[in-house]
Amino acid sequence: MKGLRWRDGLVLIALALYAGPFCWQALTSLRPDGELLPLTHLLPARLTLAHYHVVFGQSLMPRALVNSLGVALLSTLLAVSLGALAAYALARLPVPGGRLILLGMIAATAFPQIATVSPLYLLLRALGLRDTWLALILANGSFALPLVIWLLAGFIREIPRALEEAAAVDGAGRMAALRWVVLPLVAPGMASAALLAFLFSWNEFLFAYTFTATEASRTVPVALALFPGVFEVPWGDIAAASLLASLPPILIVIAFQRYLVRGLLAGALRE
Amino acid sequence: MARRPARPRLGFGLGWLTSGLLLLALLGGCGERVAPDAPVTLVFKHAKILGPADPVPGLLRRFEALHPGVRVRSEALTWSSDEQHQFYVINLEGGSPPFDVMMLDVIWVPEFARAGWILDLTPFVPPAERDAHFASAIEPAMQDGRLWALPWFMNVGLLYYRRDLLAKYGLAPPDTYAALVDQVRRIRAGEGDPRLDGYLWQGKQYEGGMVNVLEAFWANGTRLLDDGGRPFPEPDRARESLAFLRGLIESGVSPGWVTAADEELTRRPFGDGRAIFLRSWPYALDLFELPDSPVRGKVGVAALPRLPHGSVGAASTGGAHLAVSARTRHRTLAVDLVRFLTSETAQRAMTEGAALRPSRPALYHDATLVARDPSLVALLGLMEKGHPRPITPYYLMLSTTLQPEFSAVLVGRKSPAQAIRDATAQVDHLQRVIGR
Amino acid sequence: MSDRRLAWALLAPALAVLGGLTVYPALWVVWLSLQYRVPVFGISRWAGLEHYAFLIVDSRFWNAVSVTFAFTAASVALECAIGLAIAVGLRGQHRGRRTALALLLLAWALPSVVTAKMFEWLYHPAGGLVNFLLGGRPINWLGDPALALPALIVADVWRATPFVALLCYARLLTIPPDLYEAAEVDGAAGLQAFARITWPLVRPILLVALLFRTLDALRAFDIMFVLTGGGPAGTTESLTVYAYRALFQTLQIGFGSAIGVVVFALVMAVAIVYLWVIDRAERAA
Repeated sequence: MKGLRWRDGLVLIALALYAGPFCWQALTSLRPDGELLPLTHLLPARLTLAHYHVVFGQSLMPRALVNSLGVALLSTLLAVSLGALAAYALARLPVPGGRLILLGMIAATAFPQIATVSPLYLLLRALGLRDTWLALILANGSFALPLVIWLLAGFIREIPRALEEAAAVDGAGRMAALRWVVLPLVAPGMASAALLAFLFSWNEFLFAYTFTATEASRTVPVALALFPGVFEVPWGDIAAASLLASLPPILIVIAFQRYLVRGLLAGALRE
Repeated sequence: MARRPARPRLGFGLGWLTSGLLLLALLGGCGERVAPDAPVTLVFKHAKILGPADPVPGLLRRFEALHPGVRVRSEALTWSSDEQHQFYVINLEGGSPPFDVMMLDVIWVPEFARAGWILDLTPFVPPAERDAHFASAIEPAMQDGRLWALPWFMNVGLLYYRRDLLAKYGLAPPDTYAALVDQVRRIRAGEGDPRLDGYLWQGKQYEGGMVNVLEAFWANGTRLLDDGGRPFPEPDRARESLAFLRGLIESGVSPGWVTAADEELTRRPFGDGRAIFLRSWPYALDLFELPDSPVRGKVGVAALPRLPHGSVGAASTGGAHLAVSARTRHRTLAVDLVRFLTSETAQRAMTEGAALRPSRPALYHDATLVARDPSLVALLGLMEKGHPRPITPYYLMLSTTLQPEFSAVLVGRKSPAQAIRDATAQVDHLQRVIGR
Repeated sequence: MSDRRLAWALLAPALAVLGGLTVYPALWVVWLSLQYRVPVFGISRWAGLEHYAFLIVDSRFWNAVSVTFAFTAASVALECAIGLAIAVGLRGQHRGRRTALALLLLAWALPSVVTAKMFEWLYHPAGGLVNFLLGGRPINWLGDPALALPALIVADVWRATPFVALLCYARLLTIPPDLYEAAEVDGAAGLQAFARITWPLVRPILLVALLFRTLDALRAFDIMFVLTGGGPAGTTESLTVYAYRALFQTLQIGFGSAIGVVVFALVMAVAIVYLWVIDRAERAA
């Protein structure tokens, strides 16, 4: 019985520490400018939507949201489609040096972005891809690809070979087996991998900051980091923009929590 | 065949995904395609002009009236100087920049000229027009004897002081920093107000911080680089300057937060009456004289004091220049725009409308302008005494490399001697990279 | 089509993308680090090991190394300790567990720029909640050289602890409750049960989490760059931030690449250790 009390307390503290900053940022986004600095009272005298007006009407955020959404979806598509094929090959087919390639994939997930950003910058500049969606799609997609391959290879290995063998008995070739047997079964795993890839691309900052220049391709994290202020930093507007930037992750966590956790754990646990 | 219950869902989902992606691709593809509604459209990139009224739109309309069939589209830059620079570098490096005329911080002009991004204006600008501007404004715009940009407005570092407080204790604006420190002590002891700060300046790790350090060097009769480009020709004097700045914070003459302060963070407390001295640019004066300003009528302007080995008024000049993109398709018109905006009429309009000071000495004697703003006369002398920052295409590289070293001294993490040693090593490496 | 040909056909696109955008740049960056390269001024010539020779005597480099190590060690230690505590706490809890888990996951899923801006506001000397709760003291968390790094570490720990907590929690779920009941019967409870049952079973997963987090902390960029920018006076300038500034502020592609290669080598050394651990676990499975 005593155990319950300290656990309750712990959960309350964890809840407070983790919900607190969100709530505070939400409150800040509704707090009128005059009450932001200096902070005299926890609760503002009145609420205002002025910051959201600024964010939607005057800032780059709406455009940045479109950019981020497009880049994230397309780079996820790239990573998952190429990754699924490669994962199947590595998991099921005899590839000389396959184990080495897989280990290489795992090593590639540890690549620091700062090491590849300078050659990529020169490469994209040479290809004339600066400030385009394609640059970020390629950069983010290729960065997420090793993780996707590794995850999916693990998921595919979990599917009993018997099923594919049964399909082979029925006369289906490898590709057909892949399409009708394996893919449907690994679909939840693909969902997890896709979610992780999407989140990575949505949250990605270093490449986006370096390869984009104008609102043509600026993504949400960059727009947030470069939020303009004339004299002083517009904390209320930034808070509103931050909440907008958090919407897709919030939606993903609410709607796809199970898949997300599965993807997270699969990368670390081996059942 | 195995049952495939997942397939319809998968196909359905894929269908939505594809349509959604197509829609997004279309949206994303739609860039800002402004059809030129005139035969020629010039794009003018500049930072937002601070001050009571923005004179730029009016000037642009006047230019359009003088050049029928030409439209000038004005596009604002982000506010931070670093971001403006990054924007320019990214756009100019990549090929065809989408603008014709640009406003540049004076320190970028040698860099942009060396990089081949701006047009050589020498064939277009007669020497008389060039000489009508301050020499210290033209000097950074010249490279290899060619002119690369025209000055648009001018800045110089000033010492602001509370006339009322100094008068109360029978003090005149200090000539030396030792006198300044002494005056701060006396006034604070007399006022007995713990919230009254002494001397505010910009010590944050950014270009403005570098300006303050350079001014401290010049005030002590030394420089950052000698004529051959070697750093710290008189290291002892440089050490004294750095030790002096750090000493201001340690002794409490300046509050600790100046090491994180920029122009605005220091202007406000002084404008609220909470400081005795402030080092800043001329723009602040207009804001102090606004009707609702607590220090209206109480602010005086003087030359920066000196340290033992230097002279009074060793302030940094600054300001913005206008240049033409080397890749512009409308050379003559763009140059015309630059010459128009830097002409005497335009600069007069800018001085009247905004908190900007002209780069033409003649305007500082202009009767109407002086009647409106008597401080112009004093400013003229200060502008002429001011120094430009080191004129080299590699200035920004130099500055961003050295800022952390000086900042470390200001916050007390490094001794001045150590910082100078480390800074010298950094500069040596930089020069190896550049190829000197 | 033979299995082998099919395998290569399926692998080719992925390998092409990775080859061109990951492997090739990884080799190219080493090549760049041996050059004097400033594209803006057209400087491009051989430097040999000069950049590395300079780094050895560069005080700013060693400062960055110590910041990187301090940040990594402190963050990872705190994340593992707090993460494990949260997992253990949630394991036996029913009330509020789902909400707590969702909130934890959300904190992990947020863009780090959002987290950085959130904490920057919380730490604001005049408008921040932290100072308000401390009684209105104007502590300049991000501007004080002594406080900036701890403040940064707190922000990163907040963001990354959920990862460790979730991993440990998932592993704890697989421990059958009868083990604990049996231990209680034997007279061991609370801490003893933890030491004898929980710890040995959760240790492997904690090790994995530790390795993941170490790799991430060594590579950390977003939160540092946006929250403090490496300041004040370089007290939060990690190797990554130093490299980025050298590359894109001073536009020295050669020198910046050299620092990038150092980060690369460091991270890969840790990654090799982690590969070895994973490989050993896979063989045992």
